[in-house]
Parts: sequence; structure tokens; C-alpha cells
Amino acid sequence: MFKAQRRTVVTVAAVAVVIVAAALVVTLTSGNGQASDRTYIGGGTSAWLYKPGHRPAAPSFSGTTLTGSKLKSSSYAGKALVLNFWGSWCGPCRGEAPTLAVLSQKYGKDKVSFLGDDVGDTPTNAQTFAKSMGITYPSLNDPGYQTAQDFGKAVLINDTPTTVVIDSTDHIAGVIYGAATYGELDTMLKKVSS
Amino acid sequence: MTSTRTPESAPAREESKPPPQLPLWKWAWRQLTSMRTALILLFLLALASIPGSLLPQQGIDPGSVQQYFQSHKLIAPWLNHIGLFNVFASPWFAAIYLLLFISLIGCVLPRTFKLAGESRTPPPKAPRFLKRLPHSAAYVSPLPPREAADAAATVLGGRRFRIRRPSAEDTGDWVSGEKGYLREAGNLLFHLALLGILVSIGLGGMFGYKADKLLVQGQSFADTQSALDEFHPGRLVSGSALAPFDLTLKNFSAKYLMSGQDFGQPSSFKAGVSYTAQPGSPSKTDTIQVNHPLNVDSVKVYLIGHGYAPEFTVRDSRGHVVYDQATPFIPASTSTMLSDGVVKASNASPVQLGFMGVFVPTAVSHGNQLQSAFPAPDNPAVSLIGYRGNLGLNTGKSQSVYQLDTTAMTKVAGSPHLMSPGQTWKLPKGQGSITFTGYKQWASLQMTYDPGQIPALVCAILALAGLLLSFMIRRRRVFVRAVAADSGTGSVVTVGGLTRSDASGGFEEEFAELTAELSGSAGTENPSDSEGATGAEGAEGAEGATNQSETKA
Repeated sequence: MFKAQRRTVVTVAAVAVVIVAAALVVTLTSGNGQASDRTYIGGGTSAWLYKPGHRPAAPSFSGTTLTGSKLKSSSYAGKALVLNFWGSWCGPCRGEAPTLAVLSQKYGKDKVSFLGDDVGDTPTNAQTFAKSMGITYPSLNDPGYQTAQDFGKAVLINDTPTTVVIDSTDHIAGVIYGAATYGELDTMLKKVSS
Repeated sequence: MTSTRTPESAPAREESKPPPQLPLWKWAWRQLTSMRTALILLFLLALASIPGSLLPQQGIDPGSVQQYFQSHKLIAPWLNHIGLFNVFASPWFAAIYLLLFISLIGCVLPRTFKLAGESRTPPPKAPRFLKRLPHSAAYVSPLPPREAADAAATVLGGRRFRIRRPSAEDTGDWVSGEKGYLREAGNLLFHLALLGILVSIGLGGMFGYKADKLLVQGQSFADTQSALDEFHPGRLVSGSALAPFDLTLKNFSAKYLMSGQDFGQPSSFKAGVSYTAQPGSPSKTDTIQVNHPLNVDSVKVYLIGHGYAPEFTVRDSRGHVVYDQATPFIPASTSTMLSDGVVKASNASPVQLGFMGVFVPTAVSHGNQLQSAFPAPDNPAVSLIGYRGNLGLNTGKSQSVYQLDTTAMTKVAGSPHLMSPGQTWKLPKGQGSITFTGYKQWASLQMTYDPGQIPALVCAILALAGLLLSFMIRRRRVFVRAVAADSGTGSVVTVGGLTRSDASGGFEEEFAELTAELSGSAGTENPSDSEGATGAEGAEGAEGATNQSETKA
């Protein structure tokens, strides 16, 4: 015959496993997003720099710019790159555009390149936007969000705009969600260009 | 000869009389794992989901939640406090769910062990007085007792009974047989499958997602969070781990009824799409229809809406093209497809231009009122009101692309301007122009990924199978005892039977059939007498025995 005690022990153990698993799930999911592999910038959790050694590799990409020329990620090898996902239809993109225009001038002479990825947009609308905002760097024509999807595997691109800073070794150094502020992007660029 | 112990008098369930000094945790455990508690929890779970269907839910319709907050300023914060706008993610819902889960496990696991134990234990020895059992019969066999018992064992074995024969210490010639373990197995399967359904639903909630995307003909999108118009992920879904397909809306067609009572009602929608399941994999084509979703990467893509996207080109006062886009308009009426939309030429210089208007697929004028007579594009037209000033976008605030904030704008002309495809409206005082170049159709797609769907279906089928097994199969025991006949040759064989569960009848027939087969195998000369006293307890003893007919010697 089976021993009643052993049954109870096994049953209680099984329940314990379920409770521990449930507790783990709750702990893992109810965290406030603070992770130890990054340093937050600007007081919130919408912009961060990865700590050295924790930077994810940047996916390679290629595409056509708004003006129709071919562009590859390999042409930025050895340089830091700011990749900004934007659209002319998006309010916050309009808000951050002057910041991007100024910082691209400030760091453009050094080792930092700027590139836009124009999503869900038409080239005409995007080009007039860039012109009126004084943005001189190129943008990929990405109406179907292909490059956003490629980058999404390395780092979450949850909305437009999102700005990804890639270091000179092709690793993602930091991300800014929503409109980038001058302070946030400037802090990051100082770090990757030094 | 006084022993009246029968298998039926097995000890009653221990639970009914707990020992007086029961530790608290053990008592609590027993309460939790009792059938009654499980039923109460199941009922509570059903009760708890009611507010989820009565009140708008954050995860399904955040807009309605906001609306509710505005119209019920007093109680909405309180309802929110107890999680009624997100019932299925609230702690108390999780508590009920988890307790039910634990209760089911605590109930099913011990029973599984018990069944495993029982299936390894042989049936009990044959009782001495088989006539006292609820079903009994007797026949005369020409064989000596040992061989008569052997023959009976062969028959019972052939009928897939578990057999027990006398061991060396036992006296007499008898056979015990038991059958119907699948009843409990079915019951357990039912409970386990129920657990499985709970787990599957949990899986779907944690790893599934739902998303919407509007595509104009010719547009494509890659399944990634920023590309989606609406995204409702499960608790453990990361926006960067969605199925990596991309999809292009090649064409869209809608057919409408041209006559009859349902004139103007849609008869079919077809969205022709091309898609690649993975970056780099070959492109495929498919036609999505209302009840025929596309299945890609285990994501189902449904067609949930459609409309028109008039194409506009806007020039500012300098003559520069500042806006060139097919602009989705949202149907205000699905029967006429009269649709509303806006155009925001935010880069027009020196001042921004905005247009608000309606698109009508089949324009008819009733007096001065523009209306649509039919949902198909038979006579498309737009009517626009033009604005100049500040669109309110420069502050960097997020704005709906379907709404125009005219608080800082003025009308460029007094009345709406009606246009047919190809026409251009030159704004007064050289403020620019807008050309209605044509129109496209758009389709709105819904992506749903529910990894719990198939497991839940499988579990539901298993639960049904388990339930059927436990309803249709009875646990029953049959005993055969043979003693030497008084005449000296042959033997008198007694057969007794009982069922261990009081489910639907039918054992009488089986028992009679079995007895006939047993006596037949023994080469008996006398037909058997058998009588079932269904419902009578085996322990009734002598009273039951008097019901049985005498055995002919």
C-alpha cells in the first residue's frame, strides 16, 4: 500500500512549486523596469545608457534614403551613430527635431553620424519636414517599419520617436524613448564620442 | 463461519471523521482541497468575471475606460482602486485563480497516487458467502472444484478482469476479479484536463497579444511594436519578440448588395495580401476575408474594418508641395461609407494649413447637403473646410492623426469646398492649394496571438473524454467459489458480484451474461439461476441470502 504521509509530502511539494513559480512570475513582471545593466539618464526611465559590457550588438541594416540613394550600415563602421526613428506625422518628432538638428551639427564634425529612419510616412511629407526643421542628415525611407523591426530584436522600439545611439564598435550604447531632450542626447553623445 | 466482512464494507472515507488532534495547517489543507471548496472557488471565479464584462476594461478598450472616468467622476476612482477596470489582472482575481489551482492539484494528486496504488493491489479475496452479495448466482459444474475455479478464472481473464487466485496459505477454490479502473482514471483525466484549461488560459494571458493595424492599399508593415496602431500585450510579452513577419496590402475589394431590402449592405470583403513569414523567406500571397484570417507564424490576422483614403497634394503659398499622401478617412456610417478625416500640412510656410472634411463614395446632393447614396465608389467626392494657423504640433505633443485642433487656426474660406477626383482648390488670397488626386481603399487588420488556444482546446476535449469514461464505466468485482458437490462428482459453483459505484444500471445484464458464460465454460447440465438485488448492501447478510434461489444439487 502507498504511504499516506508520502502522498501528502509530494502533494505539498507540488503546491509549493506552483506557488514559487507564481511568485517568480509576479516578481519578474511587476518590476518597474529598473535593471542593473543600465544607467538611467534624465531622472526618468525613458532614456538610458547600457553599462560597458552590457551593450547589445546593433543589427546591420540597409535601405534606400528619402532621396533615393542606397545606404548600408557598414558605411558607418568605426563611427558612433545616432539612429532616430521618426515620422512627419508624429507630434513628438516635431518637438525633438530642433534638438536633433543642433546636436547633429555639434557632433557631426567629430566621430558621430546621424541617420533618420522615416516610418509610416511618404517621402514628400518627410523631406519637407526635414527641410523646414533644418535637418541635413539623411533618412531611410521605411514606410513599412522594416528597419524598426530589425532593430527591435536588439532593443525594444516601442513607439515613434525612438532614438538609438550606437557606439563605434557597432554596439547599442543607449536608447531614448519618446522625444529626445537636449540634455539626454548630449550626455549620451559625450560618452560615446570621448 | 461468522465473518461477514465483504469488500463493500471497506472503511468509509477518512475525511468524514478527522482525528481530534488535527494540526491547523492540515485542517486548512483538507478544507482547501475538498470538493466543496473547489466548487465554491469555481463559482467565485465566474462571479469575479462579471464586472469584467459589465465595465470597460483597460486591456481591451482603454478609450472606453477613459470615457467612463469622465462620466462617473465619483465612483470611477473607487472602482479603479479595487481593480474593476482590469479585472483579469487584479490581485483578487489572481488569488481566486491560484486557490482554485491549488485546490484542484491538492485534490487530484492524492487521488492519482491512490489509483496508482490500487492498480498495483490485487482484488480482495473472495468472501465466503457469495450469496450475500447484491448479485449472486450458482450453477453445477461437472468439473472438480479446482478445475471449475480454473475455468472461471479463464473466462474472467478473457473478459479482462484483474484476477486473484488463492495463494499457498489460502483455503478453498476461488477466483476474485475486478474491473473498471478506467472509471477513476477518467475522473482524474477530467480534473487534470480542467487544470490544463486553467494553465492554457494563463499561458494565453501571459504570452499572447492582440494588435491592430490600418493599411492603405499598397502599404506594408513589419510586425513590430512601433508599427502597430494598437498593441495589447500579455504580461510576459516583449514588444521586441513579436512574430517577425511583414505584410503588404496589395488590394482590397468590397461588394455590396445592389437590390432588395438589404440594399447597400456588404456581401463580401476581400483583402489581397502578400507576406513573408520571416525576413528573407519567400513571399506568399493570400486573401483575407471576414471569417478567413491569415495564419502566419501562429499569429492570426483578421480583417476587421475598411474604408477610403482620399489622396491629397497640398501646396503652400510658395507653391511647394508640403503634403502628398493617401489619407485614411474613418467611416461615420458603414451603410453609406460617408467618412471623416483631416489633412495636416504641418510644413506649409509661412503658416501651417489644415483641412477637415468628409469623403463620400457616391455623392448625391439633397438641397445643400452632401450625402452618400451607396457605399461603393460610384461618384466619389470630398468636401473640405480649410484652416490656416497653428496645428498645435510644434510643442511636441502627441496628436491623433484623425483630429484637427483648430483652437489656434482660422478658416480660409467661409463655406466647405466640394471636389471631385482631379480637381484642385486654390485657396483664396494665394494661401496655397489642395488637389484631390484620387482615392485608395484601406483595410484594418487585427493580429491575435494566443498560445493557449490549442492547448485549451485539447484539454477541453480530454476533459470531455474523461467525463464520458467516468460516466460510462463502472468499477465492479466478481467472485467465484467452487466446492465439491454433495453427490461426489463435480462441484457447486457460486458467483457473486457487486459494483463499487452507484452509477447507471446495467450490471444485472452483464452479471447474468457473465454467469451464463461461466456456467457454459464449465459444461454445466443445469442452467443457472441468477438474481440481482441491485441497491442492496452486501452487508445485509442473511436477508439478502434468502432472496437467492436454492442451488440444485
